[in-house]
Amino acid sequence: MEIDKEIQDDFFKHLLLGNKKQCSIIVNSLLNNNISIKTIYEYLLKTSMYKIGELWEYNKISVATEHLASAIVEAILNENYLTIISKKQLNKNVLLSCVEKEYHQIGIKMISDIFEMNGWSSYFLGSNTPTKDILLFSKTISVDIIAISLSIYSHLPELLKLIEKFRLEFPETPILVGGQAFLHGGEKKLLNYYNVIYKPDIFSTELFIKKINNYE
Amino acid sequence: MNKTYLLQTCEELKGFSDKSSEEYDTKSDKLLSEINAIMLKRPDIKDLVGEENLLMMQDNHANHIRFISSILKEFNSEVLIETILWVFRAYRSHGFSTNYWAAQLNTWILVLKNQLSTESCLEILPLYNWMQINIPIFVKLSDDKLKSPNN
Repeated sequence: MEIDKEIQDDFFKHLLLGNKKQCSIIVNSLLNNNISIKTIYEYLLKTSMYKIGELWEYNKISVATEHLASAIVEAILNENYLTIISKKQLNKNVLLSCVEKEYHQIGIKMISDIFEMNGWSSYFLGSNTPTKDILLFSKTISVDIIAISLSIYSHLPELLKLIEKFRLEFPETPILVGGQAFLHGGEKKLLNYYNVIYKPDIFSTELFIKKINNYE
Repeated sequence: MNKTYLLQTCEELKGFSDKSSEEYDTKSDKLLSEINAIMLKRPDIKDLVGEENLLMMQDNHANHIRFISSILKEFNSEVLIETILWVFRAYRSHGFSTNYWAAQLNTWILVLKNQLSTESCLEILPLYNWMQINIPIFVKLSDDKLKSPNN
């Protein structure tokens, strides 16, 4: 189920104006009308942020407006956290991070929430995390999956470096990869690595999580 | 000539050796510093990039070198073309003139010849020559999107 264009436009208008309160009211109203958080993430927040990126591309908004919109969307994600996490907790841990030099963390934060909705414990390390620190942290928890987001193709070498180093320490652990960097391809390269899985969106990621949950 | 033509001709470029991509990557700081120095000395630089855009130009050069480094390691013609089109649209929208691309790519070619070994140049320069000769197509394709009524 998608979200009405009128609501999307209204949300986007307030996002551009920096009207956090109104954006939050719109999201809460959708939740109250039984629109799923996944639908809100995929068809409202993600599409809005892609549109924000396009407006910067065409010099219609400044970097300041772009940052303000990102801050509002992140605040909305945090605001709804307690209502979306699953009451049933599995004994499963996922480590989520952006690679070094990658500053776009909203997408992977949404994926973190999708894992939590499905009973997993998420360890979200955020943007621009050095490879060595991701590896060190992985050793401090019992990590069942590592999920990495890439929004800019130039960072692919950092991702491949991380995959190779992670594999040396964790030969079997699945590595989930996604992000806007793969919008025009490039994900096939990932299939050369053992147990690296590419998922293009929230819905396919959730199916993947559910399959694991049902399997075990 | 259109995107299909770009994709077909671009496919012929692949096959960069690990040695040349490593050399490009290792010397990226030198390449970057040399292109910035040359471009900033140009008397017409503000006509090329716009009055307030010198820092943005240097950001573009830094992004260029990171991106091309990734492409040399993991060649993907669709990603290359879509990214160049995005760069053309974004920077033209922010006041860069279409002449900037020729000036920039000519300078990259000069800098690569100065800094890289003959073997690496032989492998990498065809990519730069391809970008250079296809500037009119990239301009035309980015024009189409920039003039779209939705923008």
